[in-house]
Amino acid sequence: MKIERERLASKLAEMKKSGFAYLVKITAVDYIKSITILYFIRDIDAAKDEALEIELDPADLWVPTVMHIYPAADWYERELSEMFGVEIKGRKAERLLLEKWDGKSFPLRKSFAWNAPYEGM
Amino acid sequence: MPLTRINIGPVHPSTHGVCRLVVDLDGDTVVKVEPHCGFLHRGVEKLVENRMFMQCPPYMEKLDYVAPMSVDELYVSTVEKALGVEVKEPAAYARLILLELQRLASHLFWFGATCNDLGQMFTGFMWGFRDRDIVLKLLEEATGQRMFYVNMRLGGLVRELPPDFAEHALSTMEYLEKRIPAYRNLVEKNPIFNERMKGVGKLSRSDAIDLGVAGPVLRASGVPYDVRKDVPYYAYSALNFRAKSASEGDNFARYMVRMMEMQESIRLVKEALRKMPEGSAMGMPIKLIIPKAKNRIAMVSRENPRGEEMMYLVADPEKAYRLSIRAPTFINLAALNRMAEGCRMADLFAIFSTLDLVMADVDR
Repeated sequence: MKIERERLASKLAEMKKSGFAYLVKITAVDYIKSITILYFIRDIDAAKDEALEIELDPADLWVPTVMHIYPAADWYERELSEMFGVEIKGRKAERLLLEKWDGKSFPLRKSFAWNAPYEGM
Repeated sequence: MPLTRINIGPVHPSTHGVCRLVVDLDGDTVVKVEPHCGFLHRGVEKLVENRMFMQCPPYMEKLDYVAPMSVDELYVSTVEKALGVEVKEPAAYARLILLELQRLASHLFWFGATCNDLGQMFTGFMWGFRDRDIVLKLLEEATGQRMFYVNMRLGGLVRELPPDFAEHALSTMEYLEKRIPAYRNLVEKNPIFNERMKGVGKLSRSDAIDLGVAGPVLRASGVPYDVRKDVPYYAYSALNFRAKSASEGDNFARYMVRMMEMQESIRLVKEALRKMPEGSAMGMPIKLIIPKAKNRIAMVSRENPRGEEMMYLVADPEKAYRLSIRAPTFINLAALNRMAEGCRMADLFAIFSTLDLVMADVDR
């Protein structure tokens, strides 16, 4: 289900009320011209899955935090910001979770020079 | 009284890999525990973007090195879905049997390791590891390897199950069936075990759903969600499979769920061996085909020993454009703080142990 960024939090809150209380995963795909953020949620008693999709311009890369709706989003959002450089609005800066180097290059972006020599040490 | 902050790890025998815990203590009571992961992060999701589909299974197996077969199978199934390859019934049964054997091996490993973590229970450790080895021997017979099997291929397996495999598997299952009551007898009458398991590390049903925990940890908190039952794959729906759950949400409930799952796995393997249809379980010869993806996006979930693992694949014709892995251990580790709040320092590792973490899977 495609959705606009501005409506994300209200839509997720509404979905949670209707039974989709379990967050499966937040992830992203870099299509170069745009970046898609995916929210997989589940109605765990009915075993029904749903996915929300937001398409973002790489120059304006942020999403609102959904941690107040789904506490499980905590680590997924941190992973998202480390791996894709997506700014999570509404959260303060935290220590790096998975990435242990500079926190300024985003490994899962297609622009990441993954086999270039690393000189940051 | 001011809080005491102590550091555990990153290299500590009870963290089963490289995990650092920063614990805030009030006297002997845990106020907050902050897990630091990422030491084993090697960017598997990025690595596969530069390799052909069938070059990747060996990378996948190193994600969860205690149950490599299950991650391998999940990856190959995801690719099959993208390519539109069908798995025939004999191959589906053979995969199911191997997956359940892998679950048994993994849970036995967990049982041994947990007995060790609880202290002074070395018999449990020896028993668990000895019996795990018997299962590994069976897997070796089927695949040629003790660990890291790389036995999945598009549409089936790399090699057929050997002709006397069914007979060996049945006798092993009969042996293990008698062993599980023996393990329970060994630990459940032990006062140290009971005190560190019962009522410790509670996670309520609503917390479990809020924190998104997976697998036995979720089922022990009274949510009977199991991919094998709710979104059945292979022959699970034909085998009259029953998902195991408990409602207490403490360490003991997580222990019980895994013990019951082992019994269920034994039953499933026996039933699947009996019902297995005749025919070849072989997959496609890998060198003769250059796979081309038909579907751009494929998503597959599997109930792995540690919980629901999910892969989301965006396929270029011959390789992954993006592979996103939902690791059950990653989200279970994130929930550690909620379980450990208010417990005694000594019980922290009992809780940590019942999460059954594999750090390579957490960090990917």
